[in-house]
Amino acid sequence: MKTNSLWVDAFRRLSRDKTAMMSLVIVIIFSVVAILSWMGILSAGWSQEVGGSNMPPSAEFIFGTDLFGRSVFDKVIHGTQIAMSVGLVTSLIAIPIGVVLGALAGYFGGWVDDLITWFYTTFSSIPNIMLLISITMILGKGIFAVYVALGATGWGSLCRLIRGEVMKHKEREYVQAAGAIGGGHMRKLFIHILPNVTHLVIINASLQFQTAIKSEVILSYLGLGVQGEPSWGTMIDDAKLELARGVWWQLAASTLAMFLIVLAFNLLGDALRDALDPKLKGK
Amino acid sequence: MTTPLLSVKNLTVDFHTQEGVTRAVNNISFDIPAGKTVGIVGESGSGKSVTSLAVMGLLQKPAGKVESGQILFNGNDLLLNNEDQMRKIRGNEISMIFQEPMTSLNPVFKVGAQIAEVLTIHKNMNKKQAWDRAVDLMNQVGIPSPAQSAHKYPHEMSGGQKQRVMIAMAIANEPKLLIADEPTTALDVTIQKQVIELMMNLQQQYKMSMMFITHDLGVIGDLADDVVVMYRSNIVEQNHVKSIYEGAKHPYTKGLLACRPNLGANPRRLLTVSDFMNEEGKELVVPAERLTVYDKELIPSHQGEGTLLEIKNLTTNFPIKGGLFGRTIDHVHAVNDVSFKIQKGKTFGLVGESGCGKTTLGRTILRLIEPSAGNIIYNGQDITNIYGEELRLLRRKMQIIFQDPYSSLNPRMTVGEILAEPLIIHGIGNSKAARLDMAKELMDKVGLKVMHLNRYPHEFSGGQRQRICIARALMLRPEFVVCDESVSALDVSIQAQVLNLLLDLQDEFKLTYIFISHDLSVVNFISDEVAVMYGGKIVEMGAASKIYQNPSMEYTKSLLSAIPKGQPKHF
Amino acid sequence: MTRYILRRLIYTIPVLLGVSLIIFILFNLVSGDPTALLLGKNATAKQMVELREQLGLNKSLWLQYLDVVKSAFTFDFGRSWQSKQEIMHMVKMGAYPSLALSIPAFTISTILSILISLVVAFYRGKGIDLFIRILCIAGMSISSLVYILVFQWYFGYYLGWFEISGFEQGFPNFVPYVALPAIIWIVLSLGPDVRFFRTIILDEIYQDYVRTARAKGLGEKTILLKHVLRNAMIPIITYVVIQIPFLILGALLLESFFGIPGLGGMTLNALNSSDFPVVKAMAILSSVAYILFGLLTDILYTVADPRVKLK
Repeated sequence: MKTNSLWVDAFRRLSRDKTAMMSLVIVIIFSVVAILSWMGILSAGWSQEVGGSNMPPSAEFIFGTDLFGRSVFDKVIHGTQIAMSVGLVTSLIAIPIGVVLGALAGYFGGWVDDLITWFYTTFSSIPNIMLLISITMILGKGIFAVYVALGATGWGSLCRLIRGEVMKHKEREYVQAAGAIGGGHMRKLFIHILPNVTHLVIINASLQFQTAIKSEVILSYLGLGVQGEPSWGTMIDDAKLELARGVWWQLAASTLAMFLIVLAFNLLGDALRDALDPKLKGK
Repeated sequence: MTTPLLSVKNLTVDFHTQEGVTRAVNNISFDIPAGKTVGIVGESGSGKSVTSLAVMGLLQKPAGKVESGQILFNGNDLLLNNEDQMRKIRGNEISMIFQEPMTSLNPVFKVGAQIAEVLTIHKNMNKKQAWDRAVDLMNQVGIPSPAQSAHKYPHEMSGGQKQRVMIAMAIANEPKLLIADEPTTALDVTIQKQVIELMMNLQQQYKMSMMFITHDLGVIGDLADDVVVMYRSNIVEQNHVKSIYEGAKHPYTKGLLACRPNLGANPRRLLTVSDFMNEEGKELVVPAERLTVYDKELIPSHQGEGTLLEIKNLTTNFPIKGGLFGRTIDHVHAVNDVSFKIQKGKTFGLVGESGCGKTTLGRTILRLIEPSAGNIIYNGQDITNIYGEELRLLRRKMQIIFQDPYSSLNPRMTVGEILAEPLIIHGIGNSKAARLDMAKELMDKVGLKVMHLNRYPHEFSGGQRQRICIARALMLRPEFVVCDESVSALDVSIQAQVLNLLLDLQDEFKLTYIFISHDLSVVNFISDEVAVMYGGKIVEMGAASKIYQNPSMEYTKSLLSAIPKGQPKHF
Repeated sequence: MTRYILRRLIYTIPVLLGVSLIIFILFNLVSGDPTALLLGKNATAKQMVELREQLGLNKSLWLQYLDVVKSAFTFDFGRSWQSKQEIMHMVKMGAYPSLALSIPAFTISTILSILISLVVAFYRGKGIDLFIRILCIAGMSISSLVYILVFQWYFGYYLGWFEISGFEQGFPNFVPYVALPAIIWIVLSLGPDVRFFRTIILDEIYQDYVRTARAKGLGEKTILLKHVLRNAMIPIITYVVIQIPFLILGALLLESFFGIPGLGGMTLNALNSSDFPVVKAMAILSSVAYILFGLLTDILYTVADPRVKLK
């Protein structure tokens, strides 16, 4: 007897989608690379001088070397670790805040809603870039500040989305039915409503992840990101001076790496939306 | 014999989706003679709407595809026309009215302009001429003060008025053929009657042909000349309306005719399509006792055994917010000073049109909405002000079945989980297996296959889902159930099955029902006592037979006269 | 209507108080004592006390918060620590170059995006639709920094078509300086905008009223340009108007790369030199702009959508 939950159905749709599967493979590869780099198995020697200064790509160094003779390939790998960690940590900060606040506001309404709405309106009134800059400036430069800043700016839109959806679902008859059989608020909210908005959280997470990666690059360029170790942003920053001298490989390598992972998340986000949100099917 | 205006010959339409190819219309042929009305009847998914869209050339591309056949209009095959040629025909020679007046009009344009548009496209009129003609047409379709109404936006009109606007738009160019796809299904009964009368008058005035699509044979009797019955993509029967009513040949048609409750006497259980035909389409012989009409006052099980529920001066207000700080400035009285009593084991019917407060009343009684004043006394206990644990315990006694079987089941839970949930909440059953056994027992009682326990709601049809809802409501073995429009979203044939099930369960579990519906025939069939609601108040109340035979209030009379007779009237 | 606007204006007060609170927490509470930073390592204790007094940092926290709140309503942000100029004067000076870049770039990119998305929606499901969708996604997956770097290097240095850095007041003198950053801006916006507008337009195409329009005998082009676009404009307006406040802040990166002395560049400088008052002022000003344009969006909504009635 075959029986299919909406999740199984969605996964089946997703698995038939070749672009989605390719994207998923890319995401997995990047994750593995990031973990191996973090464990010190890959790119541990990024800081060592392994060749001449600014050597173009060759069989030995497929992405060439930088000014100090370090392998650009190893730097890109290390950058992957930074980028993926930023994506992961900021998602882990922003998504729970957004979901919990949005769900509470949407479900309880009244003064709870007023307070939470005020909170996110206030946060979203300050342009993200200002908030990012201010937070990193005050917490001191470095990866920790980047996590906090991106986490603190990322939850607003998700909170608003979840709030709206929860409000809609709250009025649905299946939630009222849960009340009619004696279910309390917690049961209605956590057992009934939240599983029905989870797909939005997943779609949002793929967006969150790539936005974080892109923002990290900009913050690093502004000198507010990681200090003393390579990230894609600092590599692109180096390229500002290198391009005029014809040294393009550092830029190309970091751009390529970033392009692949952001593209994968973009495509995956689209495919997830198609697979998980059946009402948008066929568009 | 003259050639018919529209002649559909051997039409086959397939839908190509990722899941594969589905046949929506299978080799059907029928004619619509000039100046006549042909009713196309069938349940949802039978292919009737697809047929009409194929005629209009509006099948959803690229999924919907005509595989073979001809659609001859005035002798020309419409399927051979290119898009430009079809465009000149649509809205001009063939026009169409859709089911959902709420969404079928463009929300950002004035209705006058939307009617005028169809004139400027086809008739070379300038804006001024077209507008004047639009006002004219609005007058013809009975929209009050048309000159002002033309300046309204769709959301400023009622559902009935919007459907009139759609009709005005459809007849603007005096088409030869008017296709109406369930044009009255979304409307209240009284409005439904007016709209059908309007369409009949216009059809005669303009000598149009009409293709009238509906799931309800009752509606068609009043206006069709011929009837085409569709079932699972095929035409199973077509004939003059009189012959269909008096001597239907196909068991499906017989079932459709028999399953609708009428205002007079009904059998003890409604007949359904499955009494006439088995799953394979083979005709069955209906046992004589199923056909016997009965008088419910003589049935002993419907004798009351004391009061179960008493409602005293119940009022439910909804606040209207306004002012600078969104304070409550006024109230809407959704339920206004309502009092009644319900006897144990009986069914109390509550009828009224949308917005009359019947749904709010039902939910207030269950304390799903807080009452503003008055008392609810259940089994001698005043439950108006109980909270917490006490209220939770009360839920075991009082349950509700909702209207929409699609939104009232959590799509992420299996049937087993849905049915076991009430038991978990109330701590009944000491293991998961025990609870699932209880769920299985009830699934069997409501006519579901026990092996479907692990399926999800989207894998069931509308009628099956409503059975799941009924099973969930009965899991706690309640004494009292509010059925809130519980059969309104279902096709007539399914509706009869669910009504029968409700009656069977009432007998088995000694249930007391409040049955809320806008459909007077259904309420008449199932109820012992009936209350008519209007504007938040009960305007008339009494034994079902009394109210239906001798209504004392004007409003009740108008409701009753609006019910389709279910019989052809002109011959 | 007036009542609605009034109510919304009153509602901006708690939001502004909230914005002030966040800024106060960030700059007055968390950031610590800025005097050491400003005076350098060799400052005497006396100098530090004097400076603290001068900057109002010896007041109670409550009064310091009130100062931030006051500035949010009076726009009196005091003077820059760095240049000692009135901040509002600096803002006025910086607004011109910022707007000279952002207004034309924003206008062109918005119109272009709507046009492209209409074409794409018309040919939905066909080759060109797929091609542009892929182009949009690919374009969005490259860091904006890379666009700026590569375009500046290629069109500026290598081909020498455009000015690479600087600004001149007055039209048309500024045109050569803003042309390349404006082009980059447009290229950057096209991806996300076209994608968003396309989704909005396709959402409308599947509505019931479009079927009615087809049944009337209207052609696909008329349906798209008249019925669909008019409905799609409602969300599009919101999306566009709500971006305007960010134009006032200017394009931070573009301005700094191309040496345009606008507000974005000013903010970055202030950031690099820990010029708190300027950063605070810019944060507050952009929030005020955001709030006011949010109000404007709601009012425009009533113009675009007859269903919305403001109470």
